[in-house]
Amino acid sequence: MPRHCDCSARTRSWMQRGMSHSADYSATLVMIRESVTGVADRADLQRVRGLRFGGGGFDRATWTSICDLGWIGLRVAETRGGVGLGSGAYCALAEELGAGLAPEPVIGAILAAAFLEGEHLEAQLAGTSLILPAWQKEPSALGPSDGLEMKGGGLFGVRRYVTAAANADAFVVVGQSGAWLVRANDPGLQVDIVETQDGGHFGTLSFDGAQASPLDGDVRGAFADATLATSAYLLGLMDAALERTIDFLKTRVQFGKPIGAFQALQHRAVDLKLQVELSRASVEDAAARWEAAPGALASLAAVSRAKARCGSAAMLVTRQAIQLHGGIGYTDEHDIGLYLRKVMVVAPQFGSVELHRARFAALVSPEGA
Amino acid sequence: MTAYADFQSADFNALSDEDFRGLARRFLHANHPDDIRHPAKRLHWPEVRPWYMILSNAGWLAPSWPRVFGGMGLSAAKLLIYYDEFERFGAARSPDQGLNLLGPLLINYGSEAQRTRFLPRILAGDDIWCQGYSEPDAGSDLAALRTEAILDGDEWVINGQKTWTTLAGDANWIFALVRTDKTAKKQEGISFVLIPMDAEGVTVRPILNLDLQDEFSEVFFDDVRVPRDNLVGEINAGWTMAKNLLGFERIFLGSPRQAANALAQLLNLARHYGLAEDARFVERYTGFRMDMSDHECLFERMADKVRSGGVLGPEVSFLKLNQTDLFQRITEYALDLAGCDGAGLHAIDGDRALNPTGPFFVARAATIYAGTSEVQRNILAKSVLGLP
Repeated sequence: MPRHCDCSARTRSWMQRGMSHSADYSATLVMIRESVTGVADRADLQRVRGLRFGGGGFDRATWTSICDLGWIGLRVAETRGGVGLGSGAYCALAEELGAGLAPEPVIGAILAAAFLEGEHLEAQLAGTSLILPAWQKEPSALGPSDGLEMKGGGLFGVRRYVTAAANADAFVVVGQSGAWLVRANDPGLQVDIVETQDGGHFGTLSFDGAQASPLDGDVRGAFADATLATSAYLLGLMDAALERTIDFLKTRVQFGKPIGAFQALQHRAVDLKLQVELSRASVEDAAARWEAAPGALASLAAVSRAKARCGSAAMLVTRQAIQLHGGIGYTDEHDIGLYLRKVMVVAPQFGSVELHRARFAALVSPEGA
Repeated sequence: MTAYADFQSADFNALSDEDFRGLARRFLHANHPDDIRHPAKRLHWPEVRPWYMILSNAGWLAPSWPRVFGGMGLSAAKLLIYYDEFERFGAARSPDQGLNLLGPLLINYGSEAQRTRFLPRILAGDDIWCQGYSEPDAGSDLAALRTEAILDGDEWVINGQKTWTTLAGDANWIFALVRTDKTAKKQEGISFVLIPMDAEGVTVRPILNLDLQDEFSEVFFDDVRVPRDNLVGEINAGWTMAKNLLGFERIFLGSPRQAANALAQLLNLARHYGLAEDARFVERYTGFRMDMSDHECLFERMADKVRSGGVLGPEVSFLKLNQTDLFQRITEYALDLAGCDGAGLHAIDGDRALNPTGPFFVARAATIYAGTSEVQRNILAKSVLGLP
């Protein structure tokens, strides 16, 4: 259970007040960031730890409060019942979720919402129904894979790596030829569970004539959004991991002084902080570009750049966080390991570092920046 | 002045950023001598003098000085544009120690007589100044400097040695940090003193750097006498003044331009060898471009803070640390790509655009001057991360 959700109504009203004015907008970002603390507190990972492995990874009460806060409708236009905020606001939300290692499939639910309408969208935003996206076949992909087929009114094919699949009531199934809504309990759908390093799971979805109703959506926009939000999640995560590590360097005493007094460790910590700052600058720039020119190739290149940076930097920071903690870092008992295990699950999502580098190269002319 | 009438403004800061950028571009295209554009080394006074005098006559020499002292009076936002355009264009760097350090020192701390005497002569190109900071035993630990000035009647008597003094051979004056109190804590016994290079007892010995250029020198002081009035500001306040002089301009040490120019050279080199489409090259090159782009984002983030009137803290050191690392990695790869051409003493086929060794050497210096990367990390660890 979230410890305090009293800010929920306040946040929502702020968020829904029409955020075109910049003073209001920056106040909104602060409110969004503050609202996350009630759900995923970067200073206390007890709830996150408890939900790992046998813990279910997910509790309905938390999900309901997430929906009450308006997060799932963050990128849904106000005319469709959402909050209609921009990429910057979404990144602020995702960053805080990452800092608190939130296991809830917020990014997935927001991606799915981009394809929903009517009662399904209402239920998704209200949290009465959890609809998650299933779009990937290969271990690493930037967008929907092929291999889905509609035959005689039924959907055939496989979607893998579906985060939190066991908790879903329905799936937005996306391929290269279209998107469909399929209920989780459809007799033509089999869901097999693969456990993941963070204590959660992926689902492997096998469609064998599942009943599927067609959906519409801006695939490029929705996936760019999710990619950028995943970058921001990794940013928040690495920032929190480094913060804990620096606290440890200040308090752990060896050779009669705090180990943070040793220059070798100071320099390593600075290099990690530089990576966090580069990641932040890259994400903020990409968010601003996407807001100014959504769908433009230069904006998409910036999204790829940010994801590549955050993917590699989050891996580096969380690996080094283990090293700087020494023996205690190599225990499951200590929270610092939770960050590395989460990066192992989140960093590959919406495309590996390799794929984003390749896409950046393809999108930018040789002389371009 | 009429020759430069098109490049004047009653208030440059009142122009829009776009208009000022356009003006700077037009100024450079109309006035910069072609033969010293994108110089491969730091130019000496006889080579750069014509450009210095153009800047002087046009009133474009001292962008940061207030108008009342003959400067352009540019705001931080306009100053960022000025330097960005000059660096993009490949403008030759003038001997700028007098402009960037001594000028602001006198404007902020000098006496009226010192300002009246020295500032116009800097603008006119009559005085060229060099900076006497580092010593053989005071590099990263600058406050350990030992060159001393002892008051004898109405004169300071100076003894000691400075080193890494850039363009000392071209200068007729040096502003030096000297010890005026040996009993105080090391930072609290240092003063600023102004010394003519032709004074009796001053000896300059050029040092050939790793790129075989005589850019810097050793300067020896042997019972050199200067008038008491040549001390700037309060006695024993030199360290504080020197620190305060380094304001937001520290951001320019992290400008993306050095690395960006090296990246452009890398592409030239790959094209020269027909490797620009080669998969291995494209992979490395893309990695550099993405690093470059992220660096620009970080630079702009801090520049935005400056533009909106904010004060940059010690975090500005991240920019220099990152820019110089990237600059080095790009130039190291260029040297590898050049193979045995990278062994040549001069540019390939005499083409200045195909010069893998020049930028490689400059990049070696970049992680040493103005605070080594290791010192930058020390500062960041203590001031930004709060480590002990």
